[in-house]
Amino acid sequence: MATADSSWFDHRTQQRLQRIALYVTALLITTFVVVPVYLMVVIALQSPAATFAGGQVNLIPSEITARNFLVLLDTTETVRYFTNSLIVTASSTLLSTAIAIAAGYGLTRFEFRGKSIAARAVLFSYMFSPIVLAIPLYVIFYSLGLLNSYFALTLALTAISAPFTIWLMWQYFQTVPLSLEEAAWVRGASRFRTVWDVVLPVAQPGYISAAIFAFAVAWNDFTMARIVMSNDDMYTINVGASLFLDRVTIGWGETMAVSLLISIPPFLIALFLQRYLLQGFSVGGLE
Amino acid sequence: MSVSLKNRLRPSDLDGSTWLLLVSFVPLVAFFIVVWVVPIAYALGMSLFQNPVRNPTFVGLGNYISLLTEPTFWGFLWNSVVYAIATTGLSLILGLGLALVVNQKIRGGAALRTLMIFPYLLPTLVVIFMWKFILDPNIGVLNQVLENAGFIDEPIAFFSTLTWAMPAVVITSVWKFASFAFFILLARLQAIDPDLYERARVEGATTWQAFRDITMPHLRGAILIILLVRGIWMFNKFDIIYLTTRGGPLQQTTTLPIRVFQIAFNEVNFGEATALAGIMFFLLAAAAIVYFRTFAPEAEVAH
Repeated sequence: MATADSSWFDHRTQQRLQRIALYVTALLITTFVVVPVYLMVVIALQSPAATFAGGQVNLIPSEITARNFLVLLDTTETVRYFTNSLIVTASSTLLSTAIAIAAGYGLTRFEFRGKSIAARAVLFSYMFSPIVLAIPLYVIFYSLGLLNSYFALTLALTAISAPFTIWLMWQYFQTVPLSLEEAAWVRGASRFRTVWDVVLPVAQPGYISAAIFAFAVAWNDFTMARIVMSNDDMYTINVGASLFLDRVTIGWGETMAVSLLISIPPFLIALFLQRYLLQGFSVGGLE
Repeated sequence: MSVSLKNRLRPSDLDGSTWLLLVSFVPLVAFFIVVWVVPIAYALGMSLFQNPVRNPTFVGLGNYISLLTEPTFWGFLWNSVVYAIATTGLSLILGLGLALVVNQKIRGGAALRTLMIFPYLLPTLVVIFMWKFILDPNIGVLNQVLENAGFIDEPIAFFSTLTWAMPAVVITSVWKFASFAFFILLARLQAIDPDLYERARVEGATTWQAFRDITMPHLRGAILIILLVRGIWMFNKFDIIYLTTRGGPLQQTTTLPIRVFQIAFNEVNFGEATALAGIMFFLLAAAAIVYFRTFAPEAEVAH
């Protein structure tokens, strides 16, 4: 927050004004970020009657109840949707991270012609549009009879996250000195052993942030799941819950309750793995 | 395949084992072929046919021509551009403002940084539920606040009026994506040598001059990257618009990604859908060429 220099104020007043401007800006942006989250939590935890008492939205919680969550469990397939989400998210996270570790190591440690083309291919697919990829994938899965399968969605989600996880590991392995490996070879360890016992432990922060990223992509996904999974019993939580607003029996209380449940895994990540997350950001942007 | 590979490779170390080489490259190559090369080639192929899935008839560029001659097409392209520029620009301004604030060592700066992770990690659907609630005409908090303050007499149905639909979608998107710019810019700001500012202060530079001559030059590259990469992503964003307005009212918020979905799944015309996907692919390729020419990001991995 830079303010133009003016000779109207002495230096100290100017400093003070700058501090005030800083705090006002921080407060405004914080409000913008916090209010929607606060609304979600309050509406999820109080009964609709309390939320809408007196024809206005009441945002100071007068009670805390599990009613919305119970209605959700009784009247919807929420548990089933969550199970589907967890299955594809876990599979896709594992697959994406495994490919990234293998590819990242190879791309770092082997010299070959066309390395910069490989780098461009990875970056290009990182910028790619999921919807453009989803259309042909849909037709291919349809022809192979793979629509509505965990396998198909796992593959589609990995397609979206792998470009970045590969890029991240590629960058990360470059920070692992070759001398570490050489020291192990000299002692007679095979190259494989060396990667397993020496390189991977050192690269742990890299593949944790790769896994976080792959997780976030899969857990947040709506587009691929909407297109690949069309049977109600195969919906992921995002697709299943997106239909709640159209249902007469489901109100804002239940909608915010399911939102709160969907937000728990990312919240836990932010809480415990913040350090790795910021590391991921310093290597490149996240989608 | 492995033999020709091996001859090409010059192991940069003591003894490159073929085995390790295969383990590291086969998954990568196989994966890329299965989920990228094949689908894209398949889509470009399908775009040359009418009814390509059930009963293909070759029509050459017919699908492309009928798409580009639809008068509505340019409107959808325009919507995509407006949406991309508005969301990217506003996200950048917000993210930059907050990054500068947090970088000034204010009290609670660390807490603010943690807070900004949330919009980023919250699933898109959750963000949409929040804003659908806030902007709702009957129970929406924003209408309530505006009415109580006397700014409006009638509640506004933000997501379903011609004037407000696009701004409402943009605000929802900015809420989610401003943190992306914030984290990248904050990392850059914290990498600036504090001595530079100290020297500027000693020489009597004003805050504004220091910002113009030290801060901005250090941020220029990051800002360009954010504008370009985030702009490309927003141009191709599907879920936010689909979940808030379905592209309505009267296709006011229909962008190319929404249009592709409509043609494929509502009109079940995969010839035209893949042709539009093809057009988007070429637009993306053009943007990527600009990106690689400007930044040469692959230089980061060259040894």
